[in-house]
Amino acid sequence: MNRRTRRVIINGIGILVAFFFAFPVYWMVNTAFKNQEQFQTYVPVFIPSPTLDNFTKALNQPHFLDFVRNSVFVSVSTVLLALIVGFLAAVTLARVRFRGRKSFLLLVAVAQMAPFEALLIPMFLAIKDWGYNWVPTLIIIYFIFTLPFTIWSLRGFVAGIPVDLEEAAMVDGASRFGAFWRVTLPLLAPGLVATSIFCFITAWNEYLYAYTFMSEEKNYTLPVWLVSFRTNFGTDWGATMAASTLFTLPVLIFFLLVQRRMVGGLTAGAVRG
Amino acid sequence: MTRAQSKDKAQRGASALDVAPSRHRTSAKVIHDVLPYLAILPTIVTFVVLLGYPVLLLFETSMQKFGFYEIINHVTTWIGLQNYYDVLFRSPAGLPDFLTVLFRTIVFMLVNVALTIFLGTLVALLLERLNKWVRLILTSAMVLAWAMPVVTGAVLFQWLFDSKLGVVNWAISSLGVFGDYLNHSWFETGLTTFGVITLLIVWQAIPFVALSLYAGILSISKELPEAARVDGASERQIFRHIILPALSPLLMMLIFLSVIWDFKVFTQIYAMAQGGPDQQTMTLSVYAYVVGISDGKYGYAAAASVVMMLLLLVVLIPYIRRMIKSLEEQ
Repeated sequence: MNRRTRRVIINGIGILVAFFFAFPVYWMVNTAFKNQEQFQTYVPVFIPSPTLDNFTKALNQPHFLDFVRNSVFVSVSTVLLALIVGFLAAVTLARVRFRGRKSFLLLVAVAQMAPFEALLIPMFLAIKDWGYNWVPTLIIIYFIFTLPFTIWSLRGFVAGIPVDLEEAAMVDGASRFGAFWRVTLPLLAPGLVATSIFCFITAWNEYLYAYTFMSEEKNYTLPVWLVSFRTNFGTDWGATMAASTLFTLPVLIFFLLVQRRMVGGLTAGAVRG
Repeated sequence: MTRAQSKDKAQRGASALDVAPSRHRTSAKVIHDVLPYLAILPTIVTFVVLLGYPVLLLFETSMQKFGFYEIINHVTTWIGLQNYYDVLFRSPAGLPDFLTVLFRTIVFMLVNVALTIFLGTLVALLLERLNKWVRLILTSAMVLAWAMPVVTGAVLFQWLFDSKLGVVNWAISSLGVFGDYLNHSWFETGLTTFGVITLLIVWQAIPFVALSLYAGILSISKELPEAARVDGASERQIFRHIILPALSPLLMMLIFLSVIWDFKVFTQIYAMAQGGPDQQTMTLSVYAYVVGISDGKYGYAAAASVVMMLLLLVVLIPYIRRMIKSLEEQ
């Protein structure tokens, strides 16, 4: 086999693998735009004559706007809370040598490994008297979920900005706080955005706790609704896929923005370590 | 001179310098000393109280007779290790044996981790050999799969594998090799249901593994493989003796993360099949949910969760050790 055929074969395999990953996503969007007739055949229709009927049906479900509002409210609040608390801890870890710093780092690392699936029962017992079926409860839960990663990730971003820059500003007469505010913070913006998006996606996607803690339909978040929608409208795949597409779209957009940073984020230090 | 001694000396030196600290400077120093602790206080409270309390409560509940009756009447009955005994030897009626579920969970985890890591490595090696455009296409396709919310993935795969109108049955039937698959139901047996769930998990997990490994391969210097190639080493030898050793810390990290993720899988299984058919795809997380939340056997479920947590801890110990080691180096 000469080099050229080999290259063609390898790139051909690459295309096939890409097809394997992309096809289900394409199929979701494709199904969402199909009309009723195109569902009647066994032979699938690969390019639909697009209709928005399925989206209309999904959007007209009772309480749909409640689900969107709950999901947005919970996710955005989680981001804000985790960012404020995490930012303080991250800056301290990256910039200050204080006694107990290592123990604190260890605490964050252990918290990050907490298995939330195993903590469902005590969490439920802890919130049942005041927080059951109350949407803000989810904010607290997701805040605990996301805080360790937030600290970890922000600490890395802060540490990546040389202290020299701040010191130079201080030589020029800025206060320590002023130097941080004017010099480091703007450089930190991409890190803050990436970390926020990660927290947002985690909260937006979470299913187990939302499903367990919210009993009334009007308090559901979008993932809980999506699964129940699929169970109740089992055969209406058009509407189910339209709902899935709508739910996925914001995640996809956000994810594409930070994808490059995610690769390094979770395994930071493992290669060169 | 030992480290402690030198530190001691440094401190004394510092205090000698502060000959006559003005009042203002003292208060500034106090603020300076206290500030870091104020900044980390909210985090400490979060972890110690909001996370620590449920962990304590988990152990406490696991040693109590705690069901619907107790929750309504607010009574506490301590029963020692009875729940643990029940977990191991006497499962509640209508539920599979705990040990069966545990064994199933471990096998499920191993299969998923092995497939994810093996295929992820292959895709990473493939990425390196592709031309620029195909690589861009493959990377984009993988990011799509990776970004999918798990819930969407579960619903979507049910549709792909739908018995009547699913595209998978149509595709298999049109291949003609495996006979007629129209109306074949994938969710009728535990094994095929697991098959679909595993496919979903692996489909979503490979991108992260492959892209991380690909980034790792790029960070290896090109000179060594080049030199080996000049000396007549085969591609396989280069992979085994140069690439693989360089990647092994990263690979260990990826295996470790996959083990943790795949051991506690809940959403994919529950959203797709609720642990069915006939509870055959019930793994530990689903089991704890069904026993605890649906059946209200809180004490029993807590004991099962403790077992699950302890097993995870076994996996976590090397990680925590490594963590401590790297902290000491800082």
